[in-house]
Amino acid sequence: MGRFLLKRLGLAAITLFLLSVIVFFGTQVLPGNVGRRILGPFADQSAVDALNERLGTDRGLLTQYWDWLTGLFTGDFGTSLAQNVPVTELMGNALVNSLKLAAFAFVLVVPLAIFGGVVAALRRDRLTDRIITIGGLSLSVVPEFVSGIILILVFGLWLDLLPVSARAPAGASIPTQLEYLLLPALTLVILLFGYIARITRAGTIEALDADYTRTAVLKGLPRRTVLKRHVLRNSLLPTIAVVATQTGYLIGGLVVVETLFNYPGMGRLIFTAATQKDVPVLEAAVLVVGTIFLIAMLFADLLYSLLNPRIRYSGTE
Amino acid sequence: MDETQRRIDEVRRESTELENHLIDEYVSGKITRRELVRRGTVVGMSLPALSFIAAACGGDDDDDGGAQTGGAETTAGAVQPGGTVRVALIQPTTEPNPLLVQDEGGAGMLGATGEYLSFSDENLALQPRIAESWEPNEDGSVWTFTIRSGVTFHNGQALTSEDVVTTFDKLINPDGGSANAQSALGGVLSAGNIEAPDDTTVVFNLDAPNGNFPTLVSSANYNAIIIPADLDPADWGQTFEGTGPFKLQSFTPQQGATFVRNDAYWGEKANPDTVEVRFYAEEAPMIVALQGDEVDFLEHFSVAGGAALLDNPDVQVIGISTATHRQLHMRTDKEPFTDNRVRQAIALAIDRNALVDGLWEGRAEIGNDSPFAPLYPSTDPSVPQREQDIDQAKQLLADAGAEGFTVQLDTWDGFEIPDLAQLVKNAAAEIGVTINLNITDAGTYYGDGVFGKSTWLDSVMGITDYGHRPVPNVYLTAALAGDPKLGVWNSAHFKNDEYDELVRQYVAALDVDSQRTVAKQIQELLLEETPIIFPYFYNFLSAAKPNLQGAVSAATGQFDLSKAGFTA
Repeated sequence: MGRFLLKRLGLAAITLFLLSVIVFFGTQVLPGNVGRRILGPFADQSAVDALNERLGTDRGLLTQYWDWLTGLFTGDFGTSLAQNVPVTELMGNALVNSLKLAAFAFVLVVPLAIFGGVVAALRRDRLTDRIITIGGLSLSVVPEFVSGIILILVFGLWLDLLPVSARAPAGASIPTQLEYLLLPALTLVILLFGYIARITRAGTIEALDADYTRTAVLKGLPRRTVLKRHVLRNSLLPTIAVVATQTGYLIGGLVVVETLFNYPGMGRLIFTAATQKDVPVLEAAVLVVGTIFLIAMLFADLLYSLLNPRIRYSGTE
Repeated sequence: MDETQRRIDEVRRESTELENHLIDEYVSGKITRRELVRRGTVVGMSLPALSFIAAACGGDDDDDGGAQTGGAETTAGAVQPGGTVRVALIQPTTEPNPLLVQDEGGAGMLGATGEYLSFSDENLALQPRIAESWEPNEDGSVWTFTIRSGVTFHNGQALTSEDVVTTFDKLINPDGGSANAQSALGGVLSAGNIEAPDDTTVVFNLDAPNGNFPTLVSSANYNAIIIPADLDPADWGQTFEGTGPFKLQSFTPQQGATFVRNDAYWGEKANPDTVEVRFYAEEAPMIVALQGDEVDFLEHFSVAGGAALLDNPDVQVIGISTATHRQLHMRTDKEPFTDNRVRQAIALAIDRNALVDGLWEGRAEIGNDSPFAPLYPSTDPSVPQREQDIDQAKQLLADAGAEGFTVQLDTWDGFEIPDLAQLVKNAAAEIGVTINLNITDAGTYYGDGVFGKSTWLDSVMGITDYGHRPVPNVYLTAALAGDPKLGVWNSAHFKNDEYDELVRQYVAALDVDSQRTVAKQIQELLLEETPIIFPYFYNFLSAAKPNLQGAVSAATGQFDLSKAGFTA
């Protein structure tokens, strides 16, 4: 187990390093430069040059990258080129916001989708199954800006039940914060429900059809026990993997949802940094999201082994 | 002699020759009351004196300046003291640094706590702020500003003329100054030519006579908030040090800022206790926020995005006539546009009224292919408006032997620009010209912003967006001057010595009459040459909840909420 973890951590470090290289040099492919992005198209070239010199973005790419990398190892994430504040300050808020929204969306969607998937599997090919699978799939293909706008129009403006933006006033209590987060979280539920439910349904059906389930039924175990001990345990394995792969998206990819509900999270931070070529912010944010993603994947793997002792992480391949 | 006449004589006696000339123009009906106030404040006359002259000398009171009624201010009424006004503002693109800001959100932040020498209001009149008064020398090459006494920064430090001098020296410093401020002051004012003979006097020695100089150092030049001489502009974002009616309580980049009343303000104290600004990355959520009662004031919205607000009884729409426009340039040095008849033909193919109705729901004024927007007092309205004329356009193409050509139109994907491009393409098709559209993102279109490295400046035909300017000088020089040092945005590559000379005369002219005489010639010359099509100048729109009174918007992005309040 120890060796397994060590190996995974090593691989994670390499992945993150490659990610940083891709992000850094990837942004350089985009036209324009930081000074031009900050001062706008109408600024004098000499002013742009002066600003690039001040920001250090006129230096060679490798020098810039090396400086950034060495800074990182001393715990210095650097300063935002566009906002002139420490990257940690800019990112701290956004990360907390993103984690809140992601956690809330997870708490809503995961039990709901698993329940839906299991019900659909148990009522396979009947009306309930059709409603859950086809309904869920139809909702998943609705882009988030459409479902988000409909939710805003219906619950925010027409019925006037919920706030139209996700950001609660400063110092709001947790229930108030959740009230503000409900519409964006529901947008994500709509997006993810069908997908997760479908995977759960498939896993459950496979488990229901498996020999061990038949054995369990034949040896006279109550249906409830069969479901809990034999079916769910196995059917949830693919679901866990799918849920884990969604963390990266939920933490760092919600550009549309965050924009629509004016919620300053990691998605918008990354998007803004990318358009402004604010490399220190972009690098830090992508690495943080990448780290969270890798941790989630690791967590999913560990959960796998816990639920299914047949999978062993012996370290001997 | 009655009392009124006695007072008129008194005002006239105290007025300079230039000011008296302006009064003559008003009395003779050459300019309207609004123009009198606009020009009068620019040359340094006080508002009370101007209102008195306007009332006493009668004159023509009709207003041809703006198509929009309703003014820039929400209707005044009895408001409750105090309260919190919540504002939706587009997210600033950079740190709040007076030298770097070049966007609307950033300008809003500067103006939230900072003050200018004067505030350019919705009628383009200058309201004195840090400067109490100003006056030019005889030819307008030296302008002397009297700085208000008793003004203090939020940190308690007294403001002196030295702070004003240092602020402008930093802005126009060729090495690291404000690129945006320099676009207005370049060729007008050079570093080292500002003096402070005493604590309350600032003297600007200009490079050349300039009749509109006070406007160039007003809030219309939004970078020019006066900051303490010893403050590095790069550190401004930490304190938002200014002299305005509100001071900073907190600022979170990319999220918002909170301002509280400055009880030490030199003028009338602000009514709201707090102004809470929230940043939005896009327009749609701002509009929803106003409808959903999460903000009280929406700093700016577009007709395209905010159609839901325009006829909404639960929203007050504030419209200001501006000079904000699009330029459709045609390279005068490249085929097929080397012949001015071809350029005229394209201009004649366009139905401007249809553009204003279709793209702006009527909230724009049609352009006449020069930067002289209807709102400028110097614009000569007697120059015939160019109307759509397909037959004449076809004839011009035939005369030039340029029928049925194909050309590429480059532009970028923002605002209503792609729709405009499509409509231009359709119009050209009517006269047998094929336009292929190449619409990219802004970064690709603008490129490096210099000749040879920018689609904007190198394309044969293109559409570019220009922000509001309180005087047309920048449009006249940067976008059209033949001298490459001045014509840095001359995308049409227009070179015309007569034009350059006329612009020099226009810029130097001190009174409306002579400005308008030159303007007429420039307008006619540009109609003849048509290097650029100016299809329309559109209104700046803000919106407020119905119970918010006294909110003021400026077309440059700042907002003044010091007199704002809620009705019961």
